[in-house]
Amino acid sequence: MAKPLDPALLRSVRSARSTVLATAALVVAQTAALVVAALLLARALGRLVEGSAAWSEVAGEALGVLVALAVRAALTTATEWRAHRGATRVVAEMRDATLRHVARLGPRWLEAHRAEVATLVTRGLDALEPYLVRYLPQLLQTALLTPAILVVIATQDLLSAATLAITLPLIPVFMWLIGLATERTTRRRLAAQQRLDARVLDLVAGLGTLRALGRARGTVARVRELADAERRGTMSTLRVAFLSGAALELLATLSVAVVAVGVGLRLVTGEVGLVTGLAVLVLAPEVLAPLRHVGTHFHASADGVAAVERCLDILREPVPVAGTADLGPVEEVEWDGVDVLPPGRTLPAPAGLHGRVRRGGITVLRGPSGAGKTSAALALLGLLAPDAGVVRLRVGDRRLDLRDVDLAAWHAQVAWVPQHPVLEPGTLREVALAGVDADDEALRGAAERSGFAEVVAALPLGWDTPVGGRARGLSAGQRQRLATTRALLSPARFLVLDEPTAHLDSASSAQVLRLVTEAARDGVGVLVLTHAPELVAAADEVVTVAAGAAEPLAAEVLA
Amino acid sequence: MSTRDALLADLRALRRIWPLLGVSRRRLAVAVAWGTLALSAAVGLAAVSAWLIARASQMPPVLDLTIAVVAVRALGIGRGLFRYLDRLASHDVALRGAAHLRERLYSALAHGRTDAVATLRRGEVLRRWGADVDDVGDLVVRAVVPALVALVVSLVAVGIVGALSPLAGLVLAACLLLAGLGAPLLAARAVRAAELDGAAQRGRVAAQAMTVLDGAAELRVGGRLDPLLGELADAEDALRRTRDRAARPAALAQGVTAAATGLAVVAALAIGAAQLAAGSLAPVELAVVVLTPLAAFEGVGMLAGASVHAVRAADAARRLTDLLDRARRPATGAADPAVGAPAVVAAGLAVGWPGREPLLRGLDLTLAPGRAVAVVGPNGSGKTTLLLTLAGLLPPAAGEVRIGGVPSTALADGAPSVVTMTAEDAHVFDTTILENLRVARGDVTEDEAREVLALAGLGAFLDRLPDGLDTVVGAGGACISGGERRRLLVARALLSPAPLLLLDEPDEHLDPETAERLLQDVLALREAGRGVLLVTHRGAASLAAADDVVDLGAVAAAPGVVPMLERSA
Ligand SMILES: Nc1ncnc2c1ncn2[C@@H]1O[C@H](COP(=O)(O)OP(=O)(O)OP(=O)(O)O)[C@@H](O)[C@H]1O
Ligand SMILES: Nc1ncnc2c1ncn2[C@@H]1O[C@H](COP(=O)(O)OP(=O)(O)OP(=O)(O)O)[C@@H](O)[C@H]1O
Ligand SMILES: [Mg+2]
Ligand SMILES: [Mg+2]
Repeated sequence: MAKPLDPALLRSVRSARSTVLATAALVVAQTAALVVAALLLARALGRLVEGSAAWSEVAGEALGVLVALAVRAALTTATEWRAHRGATRVVAEMRDATLRHVARLGPRWLEAHRAEVATLVTRGLDALEPYLVRYLPQLLQTALLTPAILVVIATQDLLSAATLAITLPLIPVFMWLIGLATERTTRRRLAAQQRLDARVLDLVAGLGTLRALGRARGTVARVRELADAERRGTMSTLRVAFLSGAALELLATLSVAVVAVGVGLRLVTGEVGLVTGLAVLVLAPEVLAPLRHVGTHFHASADGVAAVERCLDILREPVPVAGTADLGPVEEVEWDGVDVLPPGRTLPAPAGLHGRVRRGGITVLRGPSGAGKTSAALALLGLLAPDAGVVRLRVGDRRLDLRDVDLAAWHAQVAWVPQHPVLEPGTLREVALAGVDADDEALRGAAERSGFAEVVAALPLGWDTPVGGRARGLSAGQRQRLATTRALLSPARFLVLDEPTAHLDSASSAQVLRLVTEAARDGVGVLVLTHAPELVAAADEVVTVAAGAAEPLAAEVLA
Repeated sequence: MSTRDALLADLRALRRIWPLLGVSRRRLAVAVAWGTLALSAAVGLAAVSAWLIARASQMPPVLDLTIAVVAVRALGIGRGLFRYLDRLASHDVALRGAAHLRERLYSALAHGRTDAVATLRRGEVLRRWGADVDDVGDLVVRAVVPALVALVVSLVAVGIVGALSPLAGLVLAACLLLAGLGAPLLAARAVRAAELDGAAQRGRVAAQAMTVLDGAAELRVGGRLDPLLGELADAEDALRRTRDRAARPAALAQGVTAAATGLAVVAALAIGAAQLAAGSLAPVELAVVVLTPLAAFEGVGMLAGASVHAVRAADAARRLTDLLDRARRPATGAADPAVGAPAVVAAGLAVGWPGREPLLRGLDLTLAPGRAVAVVGPNGSGKTTLLLTLAGLLPPAAGEVRIGGVPSTALADGAPSVVTMTAEDAHVFDTTILENLRVARGDVTEDEAREVLALAGLGAFLDRLPDGLDTVVGAGGACISGGERRRLLVARALLSPAPLLLLDEPDEHLDPETAERLLQDVLALREAGRGVLLVTHRGAASLAAADDVVDLGAVAAAPGVVPMLERSA
């Protein structure tokens, strides 16, 4: 944070570099125009006040002032315009990179950091814009122009330049102090904001539950507390940031005042001329203006910088499974002694898991709740890395460690219905087809197989029926079949179903059984995580999953 | 809509949201006062230092300059100091306003219709809650205070210049008016459409980002991540184009301000020169007349941005009021009033969703302490709907439900002290196990929690947890398994103070033995004087043990009293 310009930001975001350079160029031109305007104005006004020239003699200069100011206005406009363009791109790139990486980090990481990432990608990163649009140009201005204008002033009046120059070394010192003071409070504030956001999203999602328990009203006070805590946190960041800004500004204004007074007193003795004095008077504030603005925009930028730094940290998190090896058509997947230790737990679930899923076969994972069935499936999908043992893929007669292969190629061969699928609001068609390249024909086919077709048939609006988040408007069993439909849309060599008969009545469960056996007959390798006896009975291989240091369990191969 | 109507509509939206910010007049006045002092100090600094330099060049005795010298320093200090106070005060007002608005918003959602946010994507909810409220709150810092400050400071500057040269003052006033009124109007008009588009696109970006975040694993495996990120990139592109479209006129408005400044300075120079020649203006005064305008435009310079911000805030305000409207519901009845003997009695009940055919008709049912009722039936037959209706959370389509003798329609949110429903997808909050249990009843002790968790079959699970009851279960129960989550919900239901419990599919996601044991334990609650109604797809043994079995399917295949049911077509 103390670094005003993060090199990591520049490295990782290409567009930021061009933004900063373009801004720098524009800023230089802008100041040139300003210097010209100031010198001309001083000349015109000075000679008028001295009475050494009439209006007709200075009219040309006045026109020059007008032109120079117009040019400056145009350049200011361009600077702002250009900076914001780059800024939106940087924010977009940062958001994209973060989301991509977070998806690769897998569910276990995400569950622990979801709230934080949510705030970052929805509002945190947007604070980067003031950083790039306001703060960075001012910073560049301070670095490039302050010395340049100082030189111009020096050509006019050495003593004033020297007075101003004395303040300059104070800048880095102040910047450093500001950074130090703001760092902690900004972090704290970001954390408070995340807490509030996460809490409210959670409460809003649970309002139905709270209402059913008669507890919704009670949470209002809690939200008020959190909102107030956030406000206080923000206020304390601002207080520090504003104070440091004010210190910079005060320093700047005071040294301008000192220069003005100094020039004034030397005018009295005739050491300097009026034109020079006026030029210095107009230019002096400009030397320190960028500095003042750095202070002004500091707090906005602090948020942006904190957000970016957090994103950069996230981007540095190692991905659990990140192989690159090419993958052909997979014939078989197996767990070989797989242990998964859930974060913060002492016993692995599953522990020492052995088993396999073959194309054309049905493997059932069963075991008591919490034994690690879902975790075993996540390991098989490469979404989490086993803490012991390996997941192997057989391609032809090669056996590949899942950690070495390109996961995207593996995912292209698998369809997966999680235990609690995420369903966004929209029409049924939108929900089923989001991000999938499939037509209505394929949709109907998949719905036929999952048993969702009969649900759609009973709806007056059919596929155009709108549903809310988590498929609100559908019954539990209908929702389950909708999720299955979605997974069946793309052809896959392996099908992973996590509790596919949960919430289903016996007719729909029978449909799932049909789906599973037909898929296996068509050569798909089916993995079902279930407690349903009828599915267990249909399995070619039943693997019992156990948690902890329980005795090793062999796969019992049925029929 | 003409631009004028549109801007008026914006003003209306802002007027409607303003009271919800709860802005204190006094605080606002203080902020404006500091802001005015700060900018006035800047104008004064420009005027006095111009005078100082010009006067000094006439080589007067140094004593003549003392007051000006002191004034320059004081104004220099004052400017920084006042500015600091101004920023503190105005941000404080803004943040208080935002916090106040957030509280009102949440309170409206908590008390209003439960489905107010159902059709919104999570990202959109977060956006309204976050950025939209911030935008409305910032109205104070970015529009209201600057506008008032600009007005006062402009008057000060015109006063100083006008006192020396009325004509120059007049020109300055005209230029200030151009910059302070023309530029903001131009900006607001030109960027309005783009701002609205931009807001919609920003909403889409947030929603899409949340979608990707929420479904990351599924999307990735399903190969849907890249297409969705592609859509996100498109949304960002569209947003960028819109911003570009908006940036040009906004920049132009800035240009107008800059041009007005230049014009004011040069005009002052010309007028001043003429008056100097005519002898009606002293040379020293000329310097003041020419240099003061340079500082005078700092106030109005902020107004173009302020008007753009007001447009944005108005749009955010519309989205927020829309949400508030959606959450509003007619005041139906009392919230959990004192009711008679704990019993739920349905007579001639038909249940269904508003605007749809009833799912079932003519149901008579009594749930009282000491009784256990099972509800079975195929998917979509209306089991969950029935539970919602019996709990008083959904009005009956026909017939009547009496909870503790009170018709359910006379109750605002059912009567949670008599009967509570645990939905099949009831929410598990992102907090500890203990706090999740305390959602049912605030004063649950650790021992009670342990006991009831054991009853729900989570005793062994709890023993294995290093953090025990303080284990965090993650958003929506993401850090526990499906079956653990379900049993946590059952435990929570058991802890509720209500004697009557409605449980929707408590046995899903469990292996048959655990499920059967759980159902038996739940049914055993009737011995403890509670009444239980549960929905299940399995559990043959528990069905046999229930006092009543309500079969919403065509066939009633269980012992006990089967109420007469007439299935609607
Ligand atoms: N993100 C997580 N953080 C901590 N612990 C976790 C996390 N996810 C799962 N666990 C724990 O790991 C164990 C195995 O969970 P998993 O979901 O694999 O069980 P399961 O066999 O699928 O159970 P169920 O049949 O109930 O779905 C459980 O005890 C669970 O609490
Ligand atoms: N919020 C809602 N608005 C409108 N219709 C709804 C809503 N929720 C459910 N429905 C519809 O009402 C019907 C009954 O739904 P309900 O959830 O009561 O069924 P259920 O018997 O509980 O089924 P399941 O066994 O699948 O849980 C279904 O056709 C469903 O689509
Ligand atoms: Mg599971
Ligand atoms: Mg249901």
